[in-house]
Amino acid sequence: MSRIFVTGMGVISAAGNNVAANRNSLMQGKSGIASAEFLSTKYASILPFGEVKISTQALKEKLKAQDHGITRTSLLALHAFEEAIHNSGLTNAELNSFDTALIGADTVGGMCLTDELYHDANKHEQGSEYISSYDCGSVNMYLQSRFKIKGIINTINTACSSSANAIMYGARLIHHGFAKRSIVGGCDSLAKFTINGFNALHILSDEPCRPFDENRKGLNLGEGAAFLVLEKEEDVANKHVYAELTGYCNSNDAFHPSSLSENGDGPYLAMKGALEIANISADEIDFINAHGTGTENNDEVESKAIIRLFGKPPPFSSTKATTGHTLGAAGAIEAVYSILSIYNGEVYAGINFSNPIPNVGLVPVSKYQKMDLQHVMSNSFGFGGNCSSLIFSKA
Amino acid sequence: MFYFHHITCISPQKTFADIDIENIKPPVENKLLVAEPVYDGIPLGILRRMGKAVRIGVGAALKIAKQNPNGVVIGTANGGMEDCIKFLNQIIEYDEGILTPTNFVQSTTNAVAAQIGLMSVNKGYNCTHVHRGLAFENAMTDVDMLLKENSSHSYLLGGVDEISAYNYNIELLGGWYKKEKIAGVDLYDQNSAGSIAGEGAAMFWASNNEQNAIAKLQAVRMFHSEDENLIADELKKFIEENYLEEESVLFFSGENGDSRLQKYYSASEEIINKDFTVARFKHVTGEYPSVSAMAVWLACYILKEQILPDHFLKYSSSKKDFSKILIYNNYKGIQHSFILISRK
Repeated sequence: MSRIFVTGMGVISAAGNNVAANRNSLMQGKSGIASAEFLSTKYASILPFGEVKISTQALKEKLKAQDHGITRTSLLALHAFEEAIHNSGLTNAELNSFDTALIGADTVGGMCLTDELYHDANKHEQGSEYISSYDCGSVNMYLQSRFKIKGIINTINTACSSSANAIMYGARLIHHGFAKRSIVGGCDSLAKFTINGFNALHILSDEPCRPFDENRKGLNLGEGAAFLVLEKEEDVANKHVYAELTGYCNSNDAFHPSSLSENGDGPYLAMKGALEIANISADEIDFINAHGTGTENNDEVESKAIIRLFGKPPPFSSTKATTGHTLGAAGAIEAVYSILSIYNGEVYAGINFSNPIPNVGLVPVSKYQKMDLQHVMSNSFGFGGNCSSLIFSKA
Repeated sequence: MFYFHHITCISPQKTFADIDIENIKPPVENKLLVAEPVYDGIPLGILRRMGKAVRIGVGAALKIAKQNPNGVVIGTANGGMEDCIKFLNQIIEYDEGILTPTNFVQSTTNAVAAQIGLMSVNKGYNCTHVHRGLAFENAMTDVDMLLKENSSHSYLLGGVDEISAYNYNIELLGGWYKKEKIAGVDLYDQNSAGSIAGEGAAMFWASNNEQNAIAKLQAVRMFHSEDENLIADELKKFIEENYLEEESVLFFSGENGDSRLQKYYSASEEIINKDFTVARFKHVTGEYPSVSAMAVWLACYILKEQILPDHFLKYSSSKKDFSKILIYNNYKGIQHSFILISRK
């Protein structure tokens, strides 16, 4: 089977508007979590958020995307998508060819426009300009029409693990000969819909989140987007290669719609399966970018599953205290961070951590440090028991 | 590609039990709503909390899920739209006050696949494809790849979408449903924009095992374009690649009565062999994003039973026995798919 290389990356999050700015925040341990400036919700001043620091209007102008009905979610995706394709040097001819796939993921779609959707769904008068932009598919429909992409296009929604599955699906399309290259990633923007949903589940923290800390109070929602360009080893020629995607697995916890099982069967099986595909043993993993949302349930269960698989776990941290939980974008953003770690030989701190969770005792990496890394695992677990793990390796 | 074994379908028609595709229920106010069965197998307490999409999805899937497939792969554009808007209404009406999370959890698009995994304790692969009119086509492609990666496995594959009052409004405002009342096959004669609304869930047990299979998925091709010439070129290629030039094939057309989309169907009919019989299915299913799943279910049933009631027919060739069905579906004039199903 051909090796799959990452030849381009793009990211936008509360930690910065591009790959370099995100890396800079991560190196400095600087969090993007703060009170929201642009978001319209009652909770804007009550809860902290990982908001991208550009207004929707400014994004439209910057990206020359004044299209009818375009949403913030699509704009964030476009921002990261453009960075990724320029970074990889994809030509227009390559973008337009039948063998270029676009696999994106999101969970909110145009529902960031919660009030507009409310009116369009309940009224019989003239629809708003966003009438075709509410569903998850709307983002990739926009990218398709803007860049005239003709290969396989897909949108995946497996809640918080969505973009890890988009990366996996894109890689498999290449393995099976359905695509020569895949542009893969995910996006989501902050929305009243998700804020109120997570709030109703009592898993939003009113303080900056503290992944893996004994006194964690829940997660902070964030927004952003990230895309990777995946190509086969034999096609990359002289291109710059950031890392190799060597392992991936999707498993279901099959326990509860919105929380993980005591022993973390789903997380355990996803991590174990990814090792099998990568054909490496657990002790060869040098670092884990954990899902680590900062909720009571996730961090304890993820810790247990890691201990169950690794015995003595490798260094790990969660970058959600830097970006917030970006839902459908999280798997892709953290894939970019994992690749940056491998490429630059460094690991980023899990900030806001003080004391380990008593019965598991795991301590995340607490400061930025140089570390030679061969294999990095990135975890993404979501509602509906949807658990996925990816492994990136030095190319 | 792979074989279909156990197939189930909850639809507006009699497709779940006492199957009858001869006598067709007409739309009511341009909606073809599902005829829901009694759901034995779903505990009442759980059933009460389920929205329609989850209910019909799980209801159609459960028998197959109990045969322990290695994973669950679902295509749905909207998942539980009704719950989604119910929660949305709570947000606005209670001004982001104290809300109950049930609708929120049920509204996530992956709720159908998640509930199937949960209820059948399936810890295998679990994925939800949501790319509008190609959600089910991507789910089929996913299963094809899974079965190539693990040749002895089997998977639960399905497509589901619901009509809720809310997405009906949104699509109506978007101009996708007809204003004049449709009674049935007159859907195709209106020369006006829009179609009729539909909903349904079709589920398949898929594996590489030829023995006792109902039908075989031979090929799937999907793409995005607004150019009818490109559709015609791609169809020509698809026919050549699958050696259908000389065969008597049933061309199962997704024609939906929307005059704006007629050019795609006309262009495709120009390409096909005169020995192809042309049949249509949207008067039976209505229009919805994952309708191709029900088209595949109908194709499997027609191939298995070798019956094609007259109401489906547009043009009939002299040859009456067909061994292959070529489905062409088009969602909103931009998402296109060709699906080829054969008797084993």
